[in-house]
Amino acid sequence: MIRRFAGASLLALVSAAPLSAQELLHPVGEGAFNWDSYQSFADSHDYSGQSLKIAGANTGNDAERYRNLYAYFAEATGASVEYSGSESFEQDIVIAAQAGGLPDIANFPQPGLAKDLAKQGVLQPLDQEVADWVTENYAAGSSWADLATFDGAEGDKNIYGLFFGTDVKSLVWYSPEQFEESGYEIPETQEELKALSDQIVEDGGTPWCIGLGSGAATGWPATDWVEDMMLRTVPVDVYDQWVNHEIPFNDERIVAAIEEYGHYARTPDYTPAGPEAVATTDFRDAPDGLFEFPPECYMHKQASFIPIFFPEDVVVGEDAEFFYFPPFEANADLGRPVLGSGGLTTMTKDSEVARGFIEFLETPFAHEIMMSQGQFLTPHAGANLDIYTTDTQRALGEILTSATSFRFDGSDLMPGEIGTNAFWTGMVDYTTGAEAQSVADKIEERWNAIQ
Amino acid sequence: MNPALQGLMTIVVGVGGCFAYFYLSNQFLDRVLFPAKGPHASRNINRASRIRPWLFLFPTAFALGLYLLYPVVGSFIRSLYNRSGDEFIGLGNYTSLIGSGEFRTAFMNNVLWALVVPAASTILGLIIAQLTDKIAWGNIAKSIIFMPMAISFVGASLIWKFVYAIDEDIGLINALRDWAGLAPIDVLQLPFWNNIFLMVILIWVQTGFAMVILSAALRGIPEETIEASILDGANPFQIFLKIQVPQITGTITVVWTTITILTLKVFDIVYAMTGGNFDTQILPSYMMQFMFRDDGRATAVAILIMLIVTPVMISNIAQARKELR
Amino acid sequence: MSTHIAGRKSGLVWATHITVAALVIIWLVPTIGLLVSSFRDRDQISESGWWKSFSSVEQAYRGRVDTVAVTRDGDLWVVEASIFTDEEVSGSFPDGSGRVTAFGDSGRAPGEYDAGTTAEIGNGETLTMQSDGSYRYTSATEPEGRGARVYFIAATPPEFTFANYETVLTSDNMDRAFINTLTVTIPATIIPILMAAFAAYALAWMDFRGRGFMIAMIVGLLVVPLQLALVPMLQLHNAVGIGQSFLGIWLAHAAFGQPLAVYLLRNYMIGLPRDIIESAKVDGATDFQIFIKIILPLSFPALAAFAIFQFLWTWNDLLIAKVFLPSSDEAKVMTVKIADDLLGSRGGDWGILATAAFVSIAVPLAVFFSLQRYLVRGLLAGSVK
Repeated sequence: MIRRFAGASLLALVSAAPLSAQELLHPVGEGAFNWDSYQSFADSHDYSGQSLKIAGANTGNDAERYRNLYAYFAEATGASVEYSGSESFEQDIVIAAQAGGLPDIANFPQPGLAKDLAKQGVLQPLDQEVADWVTENYAAGSSWADLATFDGAEGDKNIYGLFFGTDVKSLVWYSPEQFEESGYEIPETQEELKALSDQIVEDGGTPWCIGLGSGAATGWPATDWVEDMMLRTVPVDVYDQWVNHEIPFNDERIVAAIEEYGHYARTPDYTPAGPEAVATTDFRDAPDGLFEFPPECYMHKQASFIPIFFPEDVVVGEDAEFFYFPPFEANADLGRPVLGSGGLTTMTKDSEVARGFIEFLETPFAHEIMMSQGQFLTPHAGANLDIYTTDTQRALGEILTSATSFRFDGSDLMPGEIGTNAFWTGMVDYTTGAEAQSVADKIEERWNAIQ
Repeated sequence: MNPALQGLMTIVVGVGGCFAYFYLSNQFLDRVLFPAKGPHASRNINRASRIRPWLFLFPTAFALGLYLLYPVVGSFIRSLYNRSGDEFIGLGNYTSLIGSGEFRTAFMNNVLWALVVPAASTILGLIIAQLTDKIAWGNIAKSIIFMPMAISFVGASLIWKFVYAIDEDIGLINALRDWAGLAPIDVLQLPFWNNIFLMVILIWVQTGFAMVILSAALRGIPEETIEASILDGANPFQIFLKIQVPQITGTITVVWTTITILTLKVFDIVYAMTGGNFDTQILPSYMMQFMFRDDGRATAVAILIMLIVTPVMISNIAQARKELR
Repeated sequence: MSTHIAGRKSGLVWATHITVAALVIIWLVPTIGLLVSSFRDRDQISESGWWKSFSSVEQAYRGRVDTVAVTRDGDLWVVEASIFTDEEVSGSFPDGSGRVTAFGDSGRAPGEYDAGTTAEIGNGETLTMQSDGSYRYTSATEPEGRGARVYFIAATPPEFTFANYETVLTSDNMDRAFINTLTVTIPATIIPILMAAFAAYALAWMDFRGRGFMIAMIVGLLVVPLQLALVPMLQLHNAVGIGQSFLGIWLAHAAFGQPLAVYLLRNYMIGLPRDIIESAKVDGATDFQIFIKIILPLSFPALAAFAIFQFLWTWNDLLIAKVFLPSSDEAKVMTVKIADDLLGSRGGDWGILATAAFVSIAVPLAVFFSLQRYLVRGLLAGSVK
C-alpha cells in the first residue's frame, strides 16, 4: 500500500480555545424537558478538566443552537466543549484527516462522506450498544442503525455514528390562503396532484416553483424528486438496490421515475418561466413565488428545512403549510413512504469524553433541547413531542415517528462522484431537455467507471 | 502572544532576517571562504562569483522546491496510482480522462479561456491605459477599472448574478430585453456563448491588472521618441500602434503570461455560477470534483492543466534566452 | 489648415473622453449593483432588481377588513376604516399612510378594481377603497371571525437598510478577524517580495550556469494548482511543529507567491539600464551593494505594483487561510469569518454577501490609492533596450 507522501507524524498544534462559558438556555430543572435523563447522565459522567472538540457544517444561527445544546453537556460533565462550524466542512474534515488535526467529534450533514472516511479508518467505531439503542429508540430504528453501519478499514462492519437531527423531504409547501381562495383541495394521490396542477394552469395560474440552482451543487433538488418518485413507483427493496447499484442506474424503472419528475419540471406551463429557468433558479429563492400576489406559483416541493429561506414576514402555519407528497393511487400497495435525510454524529478520536458525548446525545433531553429551538426533527420515540415549537414542526415530527417505510436520501448514500456529482448534473441536463434514458445511461457509465 | 504583535515581530524578524542572511552570507563568501586577496585572489574571485548567484537564489529556490516542486512531483507519482492509491496503473488515469467526453469538453473550454481572457484583458487594459493617460480624470477612471481586482471571486460571482439572472426583475440583461420587448433568455444556458459570458467576469476582473502595469510601461517610454514621430506627422493611432506598442512588447508578454496563469487557476467563477453545467466545465473546477475522492484522477487533471501552459512557458523561456544574450 | 488639425484633435479628445466614460460605466454598473444590494435585505434582493430600488415600486399587499369597528346601516353591516392601520400591513407603512392605486378580493387578481370604485366581492358584500387607503365595507350578514381578505396595490417608497452592515461589522469577533487579516496579509506581502527581489536580481543580472533552467522552472511553477500543495504542506507543518498557525500561513503565502513575484520582478529588472550596473561593477561595487544601492531604489515601482497585487490576493484568500490557520474564532480571518459564520446556513444571504464583499474591498482600495503614485513614475519593464 502506498501512502500519499511520506507518513508525517500527526502532531496537531491547534490552539484549543474553549468557548467562554455559555449561558444555559433554560436553567436546570425548568420547563417540560426530560430533566431526569439529564440528571442521571450528569450523575454518572464526570469529565472535569477534559475538553471536547466538535466540528460540523452548521454555521450562523444553526451553530448557535448546537452550542446551546453543548453547553448542557459541559454543565453536566464539567468538560469544556469547543464547536467550530464551516460551510465547507466536508472539505475541511478530509484535509484534517490527511494532515492531522482531527476534532474529537464530527457532525456530518450527510452520511456519504462518513462512509468513505470509515473505510479509510478515520472514524472510530462505536460500540454495538449504540446500534441496539438506535434500533430500540428511534422510529424505524433498524433502518437508522443500518444507515450508520459501514465497513471499517479492516472490512469489519461497525456502527460509526448516531443520527442526530433529521429532515423530511417528501413535502409540498403551499399557501393555505391561496388554496382556499381558489377552492383547491389538498391532493391525496399523485393522480389528484397532476389534476390539480392542470386545474391551476387552466385557471390561469402556475402550479409549481422549482429551483435547482445551488452553485457547485446545482441539481440536487431534482435528485430528491426522483428519489421520492422511486419510492412511489417501486417497492423499497428496489430503491435499496438502486442506491447500492445492484441494479443499473439506467434500469427502466429509474428512467420511469425520472420521467415522472419530468412531468412536473418539464411541462412548460407548470413553472413560472419554464424548464430552462428551473435549472438555474436558486433553490433558496424558489419558494418566494408562493408568497407573492398574485402568486407566482402555488406549490413548492422541498424538505422540512426550507422555511429558513421563506421571506421574513412569512409565518409558517399561517402563510405557509405543507402536505405530504402523495403516493400514486395506482401503486396503493406501496403505502406512504417517507424520504428523509439526517446529520450523522461520529467519533473521530476515541476518548472517554467523546464516547460520553455520544451517550449524551442518546438522552431524550438532548433531543428536546434542540426541538425547543425549532428547525430540528427527531425520530427519537422518547422525546416529548409537546416540546416542538409549532404545530407544523410537530406534524413534521409525527411524519417521522410514524413512518412505516422510511428511506434515506439515496444520492447521499451513493458514491460521491455519482450522488454529489453525476446525478446532479444529469438532472440538470434532463431538466433542460436531454432524454431521461440517455441521462441515465451516462450516469450508469460513470458509476461503472469508478468501480 | 497577541497575533498582531506576532505579526509585527514577523515583519521585523523576516525583513531583518532576509537582509541579515544576504549580507552575512555574502560577507562569509568574500571574507572567509574565498577572500579576494592573498595568493589565489583571482581564482577566489571567480569561485565566489560562481557561488554568489545561488546565495541570492537560495531562499526562493528552497521555498519553491519545498512548497511547489515537491507537491508537483508527489502529485505526478500519485496520478499514476488508482483511486485509493494502492495500485499502480501507469497512465490509466490519463487515458480514462482523455476517453471521457466531459473531460474533453472541460479541456477545450479551458483552452478557450486561456486564449480569450488574457487576450481580451490585455488589449482592453492597453487601450484603457493609453486613453486614460490623455485625460484629466484618468486616475479616477483607472481606479474604477481597477476596483474589481479588489473584489473576491465569490463577490464577483454575486455581482454578475445580478446581471445574468433569467428573472427580468433581477438580471440586468433580461431587464433590458424585457424593456425592448424581447423574451427573457438564460445567457448561462446558451451553448458556447455561456462560456464567453463566464469569461466576461474574469476579463472584468483582470483588465485592471493589465491596465496598471501597461499604463506604467507606456509612461516609461522616452518622450523624445514620441515627439520625434509627431514631428514626422504621424497621427495618434500610428504613434500608438507603431511606436508605443512595439516599445513595450516585453511588458505585454509579461502581462499576457500572468493573466494566462491566473486564468488557468480560477475555478471559483464556474463553480459558483453554473457548477460546470451546460457544457461550461473547465479543468480546475473539474478537478475539484475528484479532489479528496479520487486523488489519482484529480492529480492527473492538475498535471494536464500544467500542459496547457507549456506553449506560454516555452515562449517565455525563448524570450529570456534572447535577453540573456 | 491649422483649424482643420485643431478640429480633428478636439474631435479625438472628445472621442477619448466618451470612450473612457463608456468603459468606466460598463465597469462600474455591476459594482454599483453590489453596492446598492448591500443596503437591501435578502427578500428585497430576490424580489426586484437593484436598479428598481431607487424609485417607489408598486407592490401588492394583503390585509383584512376590520371586525371591531362594525356599525349598522339599515339592514347592512358596515365597516369604515383605513387599510393602513391593519396589523398585517402596518409593518410596510410605518407612518400609517400610503397611496392605493387598485384593490381586489383575491390573491390571483390583487388589483382587479381601481381605487375609488365599488366592487361586489360576493356573498352580498361590497368594498370601496379610496386612494388614501380608507375603505367602506358592507355586508348583508354580520361579519364573523376574521375579517374578509383585502388585497391592494400601493406604491412603496424606496427602502434601504444598514442592517447588513450592522451584521457584518458588529458580529462577534469581527474586529479580531480584521486584525487577524492584517496580521496575515502584511508579512505575507512584504517578506515574499524581499526574497523574490534578490532572486530576481540574480536571474536578471548575474551570469551563472543553470540560469536558463531556473527561469524555466519558475515559469513552470507559476501554474501549479495550489490545491495540490495544501495537504502535503500541512502535513509537513504538523511534522515540524508549526502546525496550523500564523507562522505556517506566512510561510505558505511567502512560498506560493514566489513564482509570480520572481517572474514579474525579473522582467522588470532586466529592463533597467545596463550601463549603470556595469559602471558600478567597474567601480568595484559588490553585487550586494549594487542590489541595495541601485536595483532596489530603481525597482520601487515594480515592487509597489507587486505589493498591491500580492496584498489583494492574500487579503481575499479563503483557501490557504482555511487550511493553514486553526479554525477557532481566535484565528479566523475575515474571509473565513464571513464564509463560515455570516452567510448563514446553506449560504443564502445575498445581502450579507454583498455587504461583506464591499467591506472587504475597502482596505485593498486604500492600499491601491496610497501606492498608486509610486506606479506613476513608470514601470520600465522591457522598454529600454
